[in-house]
Amino acid sequence: MRVLIIEDEARLAENIARSLRESAGYAVDVALDGEEGAFMAGSNPYDLVILDLMLPKLDGLSVLQRMRRGGSAVPVLVLTARDEKESIVALLNAGADDYVAKPFDLGELLARAKALIRRGKGQSAALLKVGDLEINTADLSVRRKGKLVSLTAMEYRVLEYLAHRPGAVIPKTELLEHLYDFNWERFSNVIEVYVSGLRRKLEDSGDTKLIHTLRGQGYMLRG
Amino acid sequence: MRQTSIQRRLIAAVVISQLLLAIGIVSVAVYFTRRQLRNAFDAGLHGRAMSVAALVRYSEDEHPTLIFEDDLVPPPLEKLHPDLYQVTTGDGHLLARSPNWPQDLQAIPKKDRQHTAFTVNDIRYRAVRLEKVPVLDREGDAPSTDVLTVTYAAPTDQMTRAVAHAGIYIAAGSGLLLLVTVGIAVWGLRRGLRPLAELAASAALVNASNWKLNPSEAALSTTELAPLTQAMTAMIEGLHRAFTQQREFLANAAHELKTPVAILKSTLQSLLQRPRAADEYRAGLEQALDDMARLEQLMHSMLRLARAEQWAAGSARRDLQTVEVSATCESAVERLAPVARERGITIHFVSNGPMPMRADADDLELVWSNLLENAIRFSPAGGNVQLRARSDGPRGYVEVEDNGPGIPLSELAHLFERFHRGDSSRARNTGGYGLGLAISKALIEAYGGTITPQSGPGQGTRMVVEVPLENSAVRS
Repeated sequence: MRVLIIEDEARLAENIARSLRESAGYAVDVALDGEEGAFMAGSNPYDLVILDLMLPKLDGLSVLQRMRRGGSAVPVLVLTARDEKESIVALLNAGADDYVAKPFDLGELLARAKALIRRGKGQSAALLKVGDLEINTADLSVRRKGKLVSLTAMEYRVLEYLAHRPGAVIPKTELLEHLYDFNWERFSNVIEVYVSGLRRKLEDSGDTKLIHTLRGQGYMLRG
Repeated sequence: MRQTSIQRRLIAAVVISQLLLAIGIVSVAVYFTRRQLRNAFDAGLHGRAMSVAALVRYSEDEHPTLIFEDDLVPPPLEKLHPDLYQVTTGDGHLLARSPNWPQDLQAIPKKDRQHTAFTVNDIRYRAVRLEKVPVLDREGDAPSTDVLTVTYAAPTDQMTRAVAHAGIYIAAGSGLLLLVTVGIAVWGLRRGLRPLAELAASAALVNASNWKLNPSEAALSTTELAPLTQAMTAMIEGLHRAFTQQREFLANAAHELKTPVAILKSTLQSLLQRPRAADEYRAGLEQALDDMARLEQLMHSMLRLARAEQWAAGSARRDLQTVEVSATCESAVERLAPVARERGITIHFVSNGPMPMRADADDLELVWSNLLENAIRFSPAGGNVQLRARSDGPRGYVEVEDNGPGIPLSELAHLFERFHRGDSSRARNTGGYGLGLAISKALIEAYGGTITPQSGPGQGTRMVVEVPLENSAVRS
């Protein structure tokens, strides 16, 4: 998953980004003003945008309106220092999906971020089930037939992304775009390496095949 | 404290003055009546004495002697106590005397005055003594050479009674009038003081949620209450302003604290999210300390602003010393030189001579630093910031000018608002919390100065601070 944080407080953005990377395994980009944020949101495929309201150059509400006008359907979680009803209603009506008031709890922010991503992809529970495969997005654990499977961080990210839309064909470019932020050297990473690793760990001899490769099209997870 | 009542006091004053007036009127009236009645009494007495004198005539024989015809004596004024009279000849021979002339009264004591008063058998009499009254009988040719001394006295009981009656009537009338006037005064006072009670009632309605004083029509149209009403309205407005300001400040402060608190909280929470190496904990704690320092800085700024405003409002005055304004400018330039250098900006400082001012050097330095910091923040890299200090008679001027993008007119109005950040100035990494200009304004105003921005889009910004210089050192 790839998240964009639009927040002018560099320290706050840094803390949220660190938390999302460490605890959710997401790829995170940070924009420090509204203009930059709106541009990045428009030019990269994000799975979630975390948007501060008070921003230099372009305020949060304008960023949100510009995103929605441009046809973006990405879930938006708003950070606000205000907690007046009117501004929250105006925000939600402008296309925001949820909000947290400052000073927020990082754990809560994380849980809301995960829930919004889930919902954005048509999943309702934090526990994703594909056949006999169970992926717990709360503690990032993976089980097959009740047996814990140990994955690397990158393997988990690939699996989690595929598991959010089971049965759908997901192109390799989409995986690349959604699993790496600007900080990673994307050329040195090869998706195929992680997919084969996942197959080796999940599909013991005799088990049904979970990850299907559609040559020239992409990957598909199906139970 | 003893309670006093305006109403009671005024009523007492009215009653006392009316009472004095009544007493005065009664006294004057009684005195006047008594005088009039006595004059009339005396005139009567005189007439009777003359008529008694007229009863003396010469006998009709060869050697006429004076005889008194007592059967023609006029009837007495009072039956019970008849009048007294005595007629003597010029040489002291007693010619006639009323039958009731008291034995022990040989002669009515002679005094300078014509009239005398005396008491016989507890009856008060008033007497007239006429001397050298010629005998009126002039029949025949005999020359009348004899003169008479006539004394006539009558009791004054009736007159005294008449005076007393008149006194009682006048006193009763005055008393009645006194009651009526006091009644009118009380009614008038109650009526007159009612607007005061109404004003008090409307003032009682003013509270933290209702800051509007609605004085009644009567209170507004009462001349004496107008200053009070005006003062109260002004006071309530002033309080409301201060109250609103405090509340806004508190709300702003609470709001502004949210972000630094959010940073600190998120730093600590992200540190706790998973087990870490000692190095990581250490780095996290240092980070938290840095965040804490920013929170502290914000609180320090807010307190400084609150103090400056409190001081400007007239409280907590400090002992000030004479400081040199240009010296504080130099310190501020020194303080900001590293920041300016980092951005490739040059600060030019010029001064036209000594500018002594009674102030706190730290306050002034803070103001110049704030202005310079803003100027540096707005200046393009490699730009110039001018700091000019000049004295002009009793006033000193300090100007900070940059060649940045200028401040749009819409921003200019909010420039000095607390927690206000011009949009492009909100880069928090320079540490701006939007309090610098508010603090500067409060401090300068506390010293009796003004701070005026001169700017327009594309023209750069010039902040002009005008301060009063110390009188003793004003140069010609």
